Amino acid sequence: MSLTELFPAIKMLPRADKLRLMQFLVIDLAHEEGVPLLAADAEYPIWTPLHAFEAADTLLQMLKTHQADT
Amino acid sequence: MTTPVRFAYAHPEASRAEGSLLAYLPITLRHDTHVLTVTGLLDTGSTVNVLPYPLGLQLGFVWEQQPTRVHLTGSLARLPARGVIVSGQVAAFPPVELAFAWTQSTEVPMILGQVNFFMEFDVCFFRSQAAFEVNPKGKAS
Repeated sequence: MSLTELFPAIKMLPRADKLRLMQFLVIDLAHEEGVPLLAADAEYPIWTPLHAFEAADTLLQMLKTHQADT
Repeated sequence: MTTPVRFAYAHPEASRAEGSLLAYLPITLRHDTHVLTVTGLLDTGSTVNVLPYPLGLQLGFVWEQQPTRVHLTGSLARLPARGVIVSGQVAAFPPVELAFAWTQSTEVPMILGQVNFFMEFDVCFFRSQAAFEVNPKGKAS
């Protein structure tokens, strides 16, 4: 089947299926080219402790106490 | 005034792609008689410095003897952390006291964050040149 023959069928698809088709093509091309993609069911760590203000206050207090002792 | 020291961005071990270049700073840490030269990730988004568990052990810290509990966020929130203070020296600059959240994570890189690395050093990033410059606080020209 040629792409020209596919276009009318694709055009008839509901919006959600068109998005699924786009997603399928992106993932398929990435696999072919060996590009690693994030998997939906995997967990990826974010090591940066963003907005850890309580931790920051604790460490600053530690530093003050340490500097006062030395 | 002192002259800032320029460092090149480096690749993490897992990748050599240009997009993966990160600002890893060589730094010497001292605690008691223990001396360790390592690289720390300059992370302006991190509220605190983070010391991975193995590095804390190599610096002579004993987990059970650290009384100060520190509550981290992100992926590190699920692991306990303790506050520790070490001496840190960058290049030939005078050593400064750095407070770290010593986490039980063995996977995290050493992170140099706002408290208190960026309170002690002025850092200028030139990402387009894959370089950054470091100067002790208040010494920039």
